[in-house]
Amino acid sequence: MPLFGKSQKSPADVVKALKEAVNSLEKGDKKAEKAQEDVSKNLVLIKNMLYGTSDAEPQTDIIVAQLAQELYNSNLLLLLIQNLNRIDFEGKKDVAQVFNNILRRQIGTRSPTVEYICTKPEILFTLMTGYEHQEIALNCGTMLRECARYEALAKIMLYSDDFYNFFKYVEVSTFDIASDAFSTFKELLTRHKILCADFLETNYDKVFSHYQRLLNSENYVTRRQSLKLLGELLLDRHNFSVMTRYISNPDNLKLMMNMLKERSRNIQFEAFHVFKVFVANPNKPKPILDILLRNQDKLVEFLMKFHTDRAEDEQFNDEKAYLIRQIKELRPIADH
Amino acid sequence: MVTYQPDNSYYKKLSILGECCNGLAIVYLAKHVPSQKLVALKKFNMDKAKHANLIQQEVILTRQLQHSNILPYFVSYVIDQEVCVISPLMEFGSCRDLLNTHFIEGLPESAIAIIIKDVLEGLDYIHKKGFIHRALRASHILISQTGHVCLSGLRYSCPIIYNGKWQKQIHSFPESTMENLNWLGPEVLEQNLQGYNEKSDIYSIGVVLCELANGTEPFAGMPITLMLIEKVRGAAPQLLDSATIPIEENDEINGYTLNQANRRFSEGLHQIAALCLQREPSHRPSASQLLTHSYMKVHRRGLSLPHLLKPAIPLSDKVAYNPDEVADLETIQRLNDLEISSYEWNF
Repeated sequence: MPLFGKSQKSPADVVKALKEAVNSLEKGDKKAEKAQEDVSKNLVLIKNMLYGTSDAEPQTDIIVAQLAQELYNSNLLLLLIQNLNRIDFEGKKDVAQVFNNILRRQIGTRSPTVEYICTKPEILFTLMTGYEHQEIALNCGTMLRECARYEALAKIMLYSDDFYNFFKYVEVSTFDIASDAFSTFKELLTRHKILCADFLETNYDKVFSHYQRLLNSENYVTRRQSLKLLGELLLDRHNFSVMTRYISNPDNLKLMMNMLKERSRNIQFEAFHVFKVFVANPNKPKPILDILLRNQDKLVEFLMKFHTDRAEDEQFNDEKAYLIRQIKELRPIADH
Repeated sequence: MVTYQPDNSYYKKLSILGECCNGLAIVYLAKHVPSQKLVALKKFNMDKAKHANLIQQEVILTRQLQHSNILPYFVSYVIDQEVCVISPLMEFGSCRDLLNTHFIEGLPESAIAIIIKDVLEGLDYIHKKGFIHRALRASHILISQTGHVCLSGLRYSCPIIYNGKWQKQIHSFPESTMENLNWLGPEVLEQNLQGYNEKSDIYSIGVVLCELANGTEPFAGMPITLMLIEKVRGAAPQLLDSATIPIEENDEINGYTLNQANRRFSEGLHQIAALCLQREPSHRPSASQLLTHSYMKVHRRGLSLPHLLKPAIPLSDKVAYNPDEVADLETIQRLNDLEISSYEWNF
């Protein structure tokens, strides 16, 4: 056997061998153990072609291009993701690394893998349902976040029905999976500003009725993260019309005022950043103004004592002083 | 295989083992009720945590590593404002605990050799999987009652693979790493354009060797800037023994104990420490190269770590059972959490 025999296998050979191994793993026949070994071995070969190793550089662009072409033609990416739960622990991570590297491939300004996945959206949907399976959730998460970097792929995910499953995934009892799902969720809602603004505007009712549940979640981490993200979404100028709509609803104001009083200081602080938008709005609808007026004195007193230990946070103190002034100056709209 | 549920009611807290992560977390000895197994339950107070993302990062990364020398997390879940993480109980605690309680002048060399070999196995895995640990220190090395050694503290680690590529140099400075500065390599502290790589962990291994051997970590008590200058100048920390402790003419041993001045570590250990602590990162051996060093190959037949660690005894529910303490702490926490805000909004 030649000394470097294995690494000289052509991309076509490796892809073919990997596909056969995954197929037999899927069937679960008596050769499954051998198949498991072959899957791991070939995944490492592909990974090394793409990333190199401590003693070898990555393969040349031509070899990588061949490899990518073979992966598209053989439909192997989808097959790997569909069988991810059957692949061993390290192999699952190798799949994610291979996937993420191939995804970043560029020819000039084109991203061929992104174009390929657009024609096979099943890849995205399979990855999204990955959050339902403990043993592959985190692997799918790393691939999903990589996909979300591309507007075309983020769009497919946002506008699919499966997107609403995220509201469930970010609240699962296992902390690491819920946190990972939340990072993906956040990436999808913030990465591509215009796409996200359009999405939130067209689907306002559906998204915010789901979002309301997160803000009321029993899970402290979910509540805190979703409140923080809400603040970021509303304060992003791209989401102006979404913000206007959000701060016109008195129920939203009531929720934030209650969250200002929560026992968690972090939640109080994040709620402050949403609450300030209601107060700063120059065109407050009557129901909003009425609530603020009914609580005028209490709010002023409350805010005077609110997080007084944040002396160094200049921006916060300026904003707080501004809010106090605004609330003091509130007057009922004259009836006509 | 025991299944650990992400549900607080399955774990009964028996006693408090200690604080960790700068008071951010409390570690309890707990019993997993269905299996009656003892576990360690680490409870992070997320509302106090400035860097809540670091805790998430640590849990997510640890769940994606599988190596016998890396402390696994069986499961993690949220209860009230806290995140709980269940991991195997390491009955001897951390090497820092051992140094504090029974080995103020340092651990015996054979124990160090066994520990460092296991640590390097874990570290080699971490490097091969594309991460730099960045917080190697005695308090992150844990030992079980059978003498099994595990590395923990992945909160400060960072990925080497970035932008879809294996990076040659990393430039990010670890967040909130104040307490780890003494162990970090000079190139990490310099924060210059040359950056650093996994060889910085090897420097830390050298510092850990000195810490285990001397009982105190190198640069302890030194002002940070002076420590930085010393490291950048290339002043390497040393293993304290008769070869390195200068004896003054009037037979006075300054700041060292008689034991330290009289003992003698083997040539091999001195060599390993010197290799790790080289100023130039590329001169330091990798974790896998260190594992092939002749010193690591010495077969320590018949030497068991628990035996070498005597008089320290491993923890069990008999020595550590103290439900009153747990109840007290929980009462205090409940009192702290009492709603003191008296504002009622008028909707």
